[in-house]
Amino acid sequence: MIFQSFKMAWKSIAANKARAALTMLGIIIGVVSLVVLVSLVTSATNSVTDQIAGMGNDMLTVSVRDDKGNPLKAADLAEIAQDGNIALIAPTAQSSAAAKSGGETVNVSLEGTNGSYFQIRGDELASGRFLKAVDLENVSYVAVLSNETAIGIYGDSDATGRTLTMDGRKYLVVGVLAEDDSMMASISQAYSVYIPYTVMERLSSGTSGVSSFYASAVDSAHMDEAEAAVERALLSRFKNDGDAFYIMNQNTLAETMGDVTNTFALLLGGIAAISLLVGGIGIMNIMLVSVTERTREIGIRKAIGANRRSILFQFLIEALTICLVGCAVGIALSGLILIAINAFAADAMTIGFSGSVVAASVLFSTVIGVAFGLYPARKAAGMPPIDALRYE
Amino acid sequence: MIELNDVSKTYRIGDEEVKALNHVDLTVEAGAFVGVTGPSGSGKSTLMHIIGCLDTADSGAYRLDGQPIEHYSENELAAIRNRKIGFIFQSFNLIARMTLEENVELPLIYQGVPSHLRKMRVEAALEQVGLADRRKHTPNSISGGQQQRAAIARAVVTEPALILADEPTGNLDSKTGENIIALFHSFNAAGKTIVLITHDDRIARETGRVIRIMDGAIDRIARPDTGTQTQVAETAGQSDPTNAAPNGDHSGAATGNGIDAGEKQPGKRSKR
Repeated sequence: MIFQSFKMAWKSIAANKARAALTMLGIIIGVVSLVVLVSLVTSATNSVTDQIAGMGNDMLTVSVRDDKGNPLKAADLAEIAQDGNIALIAPTAQSSAAAKSGGETVNVSLEGTNGSYFQIRGDELASGRFLKAVDLENVSYVAVLSNETAIGIYGDSDATGRTLTMDGRKYLVVGVLAEDDSMMASISQAYSVYIPYTVMERLSSGTSGVSSFYASAVDSAHMDEAEAAVERALLSRFKNDGDAFYIMNQNTLAETMGDVTNTFALLLGGIAAISLLVGGIGIMNIMLVSVTERTREIGIRKAIGANRRSILFQFLIEALTICLVGCAVGIALSGLILIAINAFAADAMTIGFSGSVVAASVLFSTVIGVAFGLYPARKAAGMPPIDALRYE
Repeated sequence: MIELNDVSKTYRIGDEEVKALNHVDLTVEAGAFVGVTGPSGSGKSTLMHIIGCLDTADSGAYRLDGQPIEHYSENELAAIRNRKIGFIFQSFNLIARMTLEENVELPLIYQGVPSHLRKMRVEAALEQVGLADRRKHTPNSISGGQQQRAAIARAVVTEPALILADEPTGNLDSKTGENIIALFHSFNAAGKTIVLITHDDRIARETGRVIRIMDGAIDRIARPDTGTQTQVAETAGQSDPTNAAPNGDHSGAATGNGIDAGEKQPGKRSKR
């Protein structure tokens, strides 16, 4: 019976092709805007979350706002690192310097840290080595350069073994990092130079203690425990003042970004859904016309034994078929549009078909077909057979 | 088979009330062939609608095969129309965008007959009315007589006990009409009850009993003498397309299955 109904529905739609095509157009436009917009946003979301994950998904950034006259020392950090949930810890301190090599002078941003820093961030080497514990112990004047810095100063990334003069002191370049093509790296265009934390302390003789550090959890599943451990240690260190320090959880950042882009997806999807709704109204309109036109047919069908339900189903399934065929065409069209966008914007990002939005558009089209088909179908089903038969 | 007991039906057209049926009593036994005549507006169509369960009476009782129809719901009436009654209308009432085959199949679909049985029964019904070779045609591409035969195939495909025909020859020329009437006679001979509404006295006289309706009431019930049928056979062969002969001098043979492949089409239609 259901199969028969679809066959009948298809026949009556085919009998009025131009009208059916125009009616479907509303649904097609709605589905295309829904699928394309949400796919775009979803792809953008994915690329942003990938970038964040690329920075290290198990990273905590801690900064001390108020050390209560009792700054954190390297020993304090070592103690925090004892916790089972924390893998590595790296103090950081920033400053800037004028670097000179040959005749050129450039401004570089200086970061004092230790060897763990690179592991926490997931950096890789182009040449040489990272900072080592002995560099910190001996307060050696050594430097690790980012790839861009090496190219900027020396013209190529193979700078290991060369000498770099910063603020009048000579540093030995012991390593150059591999190229970082993440979005975050491309945002900060500054030349970065990494030196031992102890050297940094000595340079800025006024300050002492650690005002910010990075920590990594043993794995990304233990981020919350790691954060709790750091918080515990710092609370006891800073007299239970939660405002004395600030911990940023990379996971939380990723989640926040995810929330923002989800809101975007919902917003755009909502706008697209409205156009789908308008398409549904078009279907209701055309179904009402169709029911009136086919009043006599309804009378004939009733005379030969169609009951209310058969007539109701016939028109409901007709509306549903228009919706679902429109939806299928819309999805196919969206696929083509996304392929075209990918072809033109291949470098920026790849836009994938969002499976869930395809499912959502099918579901939504079904709901619209039923919701807007029901009233005309009920009107058809409720016609008294005699009046319908007499209709001219 | 059909028992109407004090049945009345009133229509309201604008401010005017029209008493279409006024306290009608009528009994039709199973296997009978009844002709219903009367001037237009006399209530004969209303009578057929009530007998055919397309409409319900305002008052009175109607039993079809002993079933009290007046108490039935709309869906139960649909089921009775589907299984017990075959309708034939003056304007054929085929669905234009469907082929003859699909039109004839429709009541079986509503009955829930499985597909392979439907195919067989549709073919048999179209064969019975001589349209097997036209089954892929649409109603607009065949003559009026053929359309009416297709409509008859649709009416009988469910093997109904009762066939109701409302002016089935009204849109046909007399020769074609006689072929249609001959089909009814063959169905009656096969045991079906037939109620035939017609304004043509000649056709009415060929039935077993003629009921004349006047102003919503039964005016006269006549039993044409048994000689009528034989008289028809004797005068066969003389065509009378004007369809106006009031006496026994008319044409058309109500013999065999009555199918005449070379039937005449109305002039207006054959010009197209």
